Formats: sequence, C-alpha cells, structure tokens
Amino acid sequence: MSTVSAPERASGRRRVRSARAKSEARLGMMLAAPAFLIMLFVVLYPIVQAVWDSLFSFRLTAPADKEFVGLKNYGTILTDPVFWSDLGVTLLITVVTVAVELVLGFLLALVMHHAIKSTKGLVRTMILVPYGIITVVSAFAWFYMFSIDSGYMNSWLSWLPGVDANLNWFAQGSTALFVIMLSEIWKTTPFISLLLLSGLAQVPGDLTEAAAVDGATRWQRLTRVILPNMKAAIMVAVLFRAMDAFRIFDAIFIMTNGAYGTEALSLLAYRTSIGRLEIGLGSAVSVILFLCVALMAFIAVKGFKVDLADRGGNQ
Amino acid sequence: MSTVATPDKSGNAPDTSAHGRTEAGRSAAPPARKKSGTGRITLGWWVLTVLIGIWCLFPVFSILATSFKTPSDLSNGRLLPTSWSTVNYEEIFVGGSRELFLTALRNSVGISVIATVVAVVLATLCAYAIARLDFPGKRLVLTVSLMVSMFPVISLVTPLFNVWRTIGLYDTWLGLIIPYLSLTLPISIWTLAAFFKQIPWELDQAAQVDGATPLQAFRKVIVPLAAPGVFTTAIIAFFIAWNDFVYGISLTSTETARPVPAALAFFTGASQFESPTGAISAAAIIVTIPIVLLVLFFQKQIVAGLTNGAVKG
Amino acid sequence: MTTPPTRCGRGRMLAATGLAAAALVLSGCAADDGGGTPVLTWYTNPDDGGQATIAQQCTEASDGRYRIETSMLPTEASAQREQLTRRLAAGDSSMDIMSLDPPFVPELAEPGFLAPVPQELQKTAQENTLDGALAGATWKDELVTVPFWANTQLLWYRKSVAEAAGLDMDKPVTWDQLIEAAEAEDKYLGVQGARAESMTVWLNALVAGGGDEIIVDPEASADEMTTNLAGEAGTKAAEIVSTIGKKGLGGPGLPTQRENEAMLQFQGDKGSFMVNWPFIWAATNASVEAGDLPEDLPEDIGWTTYPQTVEGHEAAPPLGGINLGVGAKSEHQDLAWDAVSCITSAEHQADYFVTNGNPPADPKAYEDERIKDAYPMADAIRDSLDIAKPRPQTPYYNEVSTAIQQRYAPVSGVNPATTPEETNTFIEQILRGERLL
Repeated sequence: MSTVSAPERASGRRRVRSARAKSEARLGMMLAAPAFLIMLFVVLYPIVQAVWDSLFSFRLTAPADKEFVGLKNYGTILTDPVFWSDLGVTLLITVVTVAVELVLGFLLALVMHHAIKSTKGLVRTMILVPYGIITVVSAFAWFYMFSIDSGYMNSWLSWLPGVDANLNWFAQGSTALFVIMLSEIWKTTPFISLLLLSGLAQVPGDLTEAAAVDGATRWQRLTRVILPNMKAAIMVAVLFRAMDAFRIFDAIFIMTNGAYGTEALSLLAYRTSIGRLEIGLGSAVSVILFLCVALMAFIAVKGFKVDLADRGGNQ
Repeated sequence: MSTVATPDKSGNAPDTSAHGRTEAGRSAAPPARKKSGTGRITLGWWVLTVLIGIWCLFPVFSILATSFKTPSDLSNGRLLPTSWSTVNYEEIFVGGSRELFLTALRNSVGISVIATVVAVVLATLCAYAIARLDFPGKRLVLTVSLMVSMFPVISLVTPLFNVWRTIGLYDTWLGLIIPYLSLTLPISIWTLAAFFKQIPWELDQAAQVDGATPLQAFRKVIVPLAAPGVFTTAIIAFFIAWNDFVYGISLTSTETARPVPAALAFFTGASQFESPTGAISAAAIIVTIPIVLLVLFFQKQIVAGLTNGAVKG
Repeated sequence: MTTPPTRCGRGRMLAATGLAAAALVLSGCAADDGGGTPVLTWYTNPDDGGQATIAQQCTEASDGRYRIETSMLPTEASAQREQLTRRLAAGDSSMDIMSLDPPFVPELAEPGFLAPVPQELQKTAQENTLDGALAGATWKDELVTVPFWANTQLLWYRKSVAEAAGLDMDKPVTWDQLIEAAEAEDKYLGVQGARAESMTVWLNALVAGGGDEIIVDPEASADEMTTNLAGEAGTKAAEIVSTIGKKGLGGPGLPTQRENEAMLQFQGDKGSFMVNWPFIWAATNASVEAGDLPEDLPEDIGWTTYPQTVEGHEAAPPLGGINLGVGAKSEHQDLAWDAVSCITSAEHQADYFVTNGNPPADPKAYEDERIKDAYPMADAIRDSLDIAKPRPQTPYYNEVSTAIQQRYAPVSGVNPATTPEETNTFIEQILRGERLL
C-alpha cells in the first residue's frame, strides 16, 4: 500500500509507464501465485501420478505383481464396448442436460430480471433452494419419488402412455436416465440461471432502451442486443456446466450405481480404481475422461472464442 | 449504487456518474409505465412464481413427506404419509445414528466454510490480476485452473489418498479442505475474472492516471465494485464445497472429518438389509434447513450482487 | 455410541494456507493419545448398536488391558470392502479389529493383510463354529478370521398360499414347485434380482444346490482361473432365474429388488414364497406392532429350509454373516485377538442375536432360552447354517461377483443356452485384464 510520492508524479509520463508496467507485472504474479500454487499442488501431482500409474498393470491388493505395460491399458479400454457405451451415456447426459438447463436457466434469469417487485425476491429465494441442495440429497429425493418401492410417481403419471403401476423406472436405461437427468436439471438449472442473470444485469440498459426507441421488437432486442452482450456469461455458464455434467457421478451412484446402461465414465473410473482396485486400468480411464473434457474445453475456447484472459474485453 | 463514485474521484469519472444517473432514472421509470395493466400483469407474475415455486420446492417437499413415513408406510404409493411419524428424526437425533449425523453436520459446515473463505480470498486476488494486470504467466494460470476444474475428481482421489496417508492428512479437516480448494478455486477464479472483466475499467485507469498505484486503484475503486461479485462467488464456492461427495467418501474414514453427503451412505435400517430410506430422508431435510436459512438470509445480498453489481455500479 | 477420537486444537485450521506448518501441527496431534491403556479400533459394519455394546462389555472385562473403540463402516458390503482394503493396502496401523463379510476374506488374506490367527484361538473357533460359517472364515485350508455371527437364508412362505397351492411345506420343496405354485396362485416370488451383491448370493445358492461350484479352482491365479457356470447345475440355475424373470414372477420391481424390497413385497397381497435372511421376522413384527401391517400376518408366515435346485439334491443355502480379522500392521495384535475371543464368546453371540437379530455362528449360543422366545425359527437357522455354502472364495471375488451381476441381472434377459457360457468367457477375460468390467 505505498503511496505515490510527489517527485515521482512529477516525472515524465514515459518513465512512470515503464516503472508501472514492471510493478504491475510483479503485482500480478504476486496476486496470482497463491491460488496458482495451491492448484498445482492439489492437482498436478495426482495428474502426473495418474498418467504414470496408467502405464502399469497394478492391483492394489497384489503390489508384488506390479508390471509396466506401456499403453496396453489404453488399448484394452478403447477396444471395449463398455467404454464406448459409457462414453455415449456421458455425452447424452451432457448434451441433454446442458441444452435444457440453458433454455430453462435463461427463462428463469429473464423472470428474475424483469419480475415485479413483490415476486422478484420470492423467485430468487426459491431457485436458490435446489441450487444449494446437496446433489446426493437431490438424487435421493428423485430416486424415492420414482422408485417402484417407495415412490408414487407411477400413480401420479398413470395418465401418460406407458406409465402404470408396474413401471420400474430404474430397471432400464431409458427411464432411469430420464430420472437421472431430471434430477441433474432440477439441481443445476439455478446455477446457470444465476450466471446468466449476472450477464443480463451487465447488459447496458441504455442499449436495450435505445433499441426499443428504434422500434426493435422484443425478440430483436433479445437476439440482437441482449444475447450478444451476454456472450461471455453464457459461454462461461455452458463451459462449466458441460464440463461438470460430463463428470456426472453422484446422481448415478445413488440411483442405479450404473446398472442397466446408465453408467457414465466417471463411474467406470471409480469402479475400476476404487471398486476393483485396479489402479493402472482405473488411472487410464481417468486420463481418458480428462482428455475428453479437455477436448471439449479446447473446442469451446478455440471454436467459440471464449477468452477470459483477454483483458478489457470488447463491450 | 453509489459505491462507484468515491468523493475524491467524482471529478475524474464523469462518464460513470452520468451512467449512474441514467440508471436511477431508468429504474424509476418501469413501475410508472406498468401502472396501466397492473392487475393482469401482477396475476401473471404470481402464476409464474407459483409454477417456479412448485418446480423448485416439490422434490424437497417430497423427501420431507418421505421423512415422516414409518418404514412400512414407505410403500404406500402416495406422496403423503398415512400417519405422520417422527420416528426417523428420533433415529438421527436420539437414536442409533445420532453421533454419526451430528458430527458429520459439524464437519460439513466447518470444512466448507473454511474452504470457501480461503478459495474466495485467493481467487479474488488472482482474478483481479488476470482481468486487470499484465504479467507473464497469465495464460498459464487460466489454463491450469481450467485443467484443475476439468480433471475428474475420481482420479485425484487415489493418489491424494496415498499422499495424505504419508503426511498425516488422511481423515482430517485439512485433508478435505485442500482438495476442496481444487473444486472451489478454479470456478471462483473464472467466475470472478468474468465479473472483473465487465467492470468499467476506465475508472481504474482514471484513478491510475490520477497517480494512484495499481494497488490503490484496486483497493479504492475495484473492491467496492467487485464486492457483490465476490460475494456471489463465495456462495457458489460454498455450495460446491458443501456438495462434495467423492472426496468425502474417499478421504475420510471416521467421524473426525466425514461430511454429511458421505455420512448418508452410513445410515442403516434396524438391520443391515433394511433400507435406511426414512433416516436418509430425515437427515436430508435437516441438512437442507441450513441451506434454506442461508438462502433466505443471504438472498438480498445475492440479488444485490447480481442485479446492482459491477457494471450497473 | 462411539467415542470420537481425540480432537486436536482448532488452531490448525488457521494454518490452512501454510501447508507445511499445518502438516507439522497435525502430526503432533496424532501422537498425543493419552498414554496408558492401549486403544483397539474395531471397524464395524452398521448394525443396531450391538457391536458397540459388546465393545464396551469387553473393554470392561479386560480389566484395563485394552479399550475398544468402534468406528463405523458404510452400509453396503462392497463399500465396506473398498474402505478396508484401501486402508490395509496403505499399511494403516489402526486396523486392529475388522468386521469382515466372508466373501471378501480371501482378498485380504492372500496379500497378507490379515494377521495370522493364534493357534489356540483357531482350535477353539474350529470346535465352536457351525460348518458353513467355518468354511467362510477359511482360506487355503487355514482359518484366517474368526466367525462372529453367521447368516443364512430360509424359505419363508405364506401358509395360506402354500395351502391353496397344495404344497406340503414339511417336505423339501424345489424351485420348480415354487414357480408352479406362484404362477397358479398369481402371486409374486420373493427373490433378489437387482444388479447387486444379492444377485450373486442367489445364483451361487442355485449353482451350489445343483452340486457344483462357480469357481473351478478357487486358489488358481487370475490368469488360470475358470468358472463353471455352464455345467449342469449352472444351466439349471440359469433356467430357474430366467423363468422367474420371463414369466414376471418376481413382480415389476425385480430388476431393482434386494432383500428389503423382497420383504415388503412378501408382506403385501401378492406375497407367496420368499428366500431371505432372518431379519425379516423382526422387521415384520415391528411393522405389525407399529400398526402398518395386519395383526394376523405373522401367523400366516412359515419357514423352512432353502428350496432345492434339483429335486432330491440337498439345498445349499447362502451363507452370510461377519467374521473378525486383525490387521497385519496392527500394533496390538495380541490384545486384539484377546478382544476377538471375548467378542465371539457364545454369550455375546446369543446377546447379539436377541438384540440385533443376527444369528450366532456358535451352536452353543442357540441353547439360550431367550433366543427360542424371540426367534421361533432358530433351529431352522442352525440347521441351515450346517449345510450353507459360502460364495466363491477367491481373491478376485469382486470381479467374479460383479461380472455375474452384469450378465444375470435383469434376470428376464438371461438365456439358459447362452448366458452361462458367455459369462464364463467374460469373467476369464476380465481376470486376464482383457476387458473392462
């Protein structure tokens, strides 16, 4: 917290600039360092370890049989139909939940942004409930709701074709995934809507006003003014939710434990390295999972030009 | 709303104070305009609110109803219990699951709060630097934090477990707080960086031209502007930490540090084969009460943070 | 009910950012254990508090030589195994006494994670344990754990249904008879068809009842291990489960039905016959007392030995229960074995049955009068335990069991002509590291 002394202020603009640039760089590094180092510590070591472990045939209960096998684990995984079906389930969940959440979340954000005073606070409070609830709790709530043993949805939804008292929602992938995705959407839509709301709040009011004055319809104002100005918020929301959805674990673990074609990649990684204690094979699954997510992020950043590091922005 | 224009700088930021005035004028306008068709619009908003309310609260109500069912009433096929029974709450507060549940609750609160505070403080500094300052390694920080947030928690667990065993962090609060930072830091940094990016930096530049150091500019101009964003981020971070399941089941083994989501897997019926549906539901309701209270209590701050936040000033 | 471990100062939290400093503080914390009485940690599976009570009783009986603290494991058997195995593999010295599910014993015994049972204790255990339970505590012909309680499934039936179907329940019944009866009476059979451990329990009992064992040579290495699911008994087993599945005799809930759900179904209008553990007796009576079930229901419930796979061939009821093991890295092994011998005394086993409903492994315990009052089927349980067969005893039990669950559940998808052979191949590929599971 040094104060700027008078002589320095008096000196030439140029000198101040270069000195400023230097101190700015130093300050920048100082501010970023603690968070950076902690992240490195918590993640870099395990990442390196996971990559290394994935090259071995190594079972925790047979440490003596540990053996270097190169890329064999990756070959085993990539040629196994289980992996591809799990990848398919994971992608399906990611695409469906993120798409639905984005639409619902945007509608919710609009409602929160424009609602009349008396309902505004109420809506905001209510959407924060699913948002704050523990995923495991949400999974239990939806599971008990639809379970053929303790649920009541079969009688509530009996007017739907295909639903009757004998429908066991968790006995086949299609219906089980429906409930799993429903609970994910319920739980995480508020997250997206909050991020989108922050984006909405940052759309300059003057612009929408001006557009309205110029005779733009509501739809035009939405697509030409509001959405483009929210691009950063939307991309951040989608990116984070997609990466999160891709790692879905808790809801599946609680509801079906991956049975009947509901297994996602992270569950496969969990069952392989924690359940079977096959550290090598499990680490390889984890590394592949990581690479998939990295690819998604790469596409988002390069393809859609999400660039948080771009200082100043272009708003 | 008035946080932007600190007295000594008002002269240097005509742009924003003008903006502030427009804002004030605009926000006063809509009610006047809406006066005409008030009745129907109000009704419409209330219908919408009720629908949203049902969607948001129904699952909570459902598990609340389940928590009041006796074990054999669970299969009654209806939402409401046949007769309301508190047997499940007795189980977790005075019965066999008391110790398990109450210590887990304390662990969850303590660990999550600490992980949140640490993450938000560090992320604020980091995000400011990223959004505002030129320094070597900026992209590296962002890339690494993105990688951290992408890396599947599952695969961090086994290596972390081994290190924690060696250095004595296994089954301790700190042993969960540190991995929780890997969940909370990246999203805090990215969210805050996005926030900070949209702050009108002219103010800061004006302050710097006026002779303030970057640090002074940060403290006097940016902190008040950024506070709502920081607060929102803190809430996001807290709920992420509060929500963790995988670290919770993997890096703890006793009541010393086991958080609530993991503890739910430890509930049991009267025997090992009976489903602890009732006890889990009751515990789920209890851990949801703090969330509801928190939401009620902080709703205004969150709203302020998001609607009157950085850009609108 | 459990004593929380010694707590360290909250001050350590302040050091959250200074990692090294915090680690130092923590290692300091771990050491101050109050000296004096050695503390034995007993990792217990969740129960109705019975193990904690016995821990207290044995602590008192030890005259200050040791103190037993219990620490609870997760509810699911597979989750218990995960936690125990990872801690044992990490060389945790706090693993003094562990409550172990029998099928997972070989996996822990094979790499030497379990301390050897002292000769004397081996002898008393062998003399005082029912045969079935003893088999589940043995690995490579050596007793590696001490049976604490043993569990087995009985065939429970609604007397009214059996009567209507004209089945004489005093004689051994076969699965085919049950299928026929349930079909004729339009009722559901209570079996466990969820993709879970209970599926393996069921299939193993069917195969063993046909006189075969699922694993050809349990002691073979992973590369050489083969399974025998497509033999005569295996095929018959596949026929039984697939018939029940295809005819919908297990009810719509079958693909997610475990022990508890099977019990709820059995208690309802569609209940007829059910294979299940004895917990259902106490649970059903509790529900009747709570007024949730009709008062005359218990009178309608009968029990007998597990059904036969093949007529005339003695049934092989499933074996469950808990054995006690001591960690090889425990610092108090002698005391731990003392405690184990206290915990597994006939008196404690009888107490545990009466209070928690878990049947003793020691035949002497069944002579306790209280047991006869609370569990009229105690004799049937003891007889069943004598003929019970453990699940495959192999260090790769988890793989074998998971593979069976994946191929046999839902049972309606089982094809007796192909599923057994495919599962054999699948298990072999997994054990040789060629397939994911």
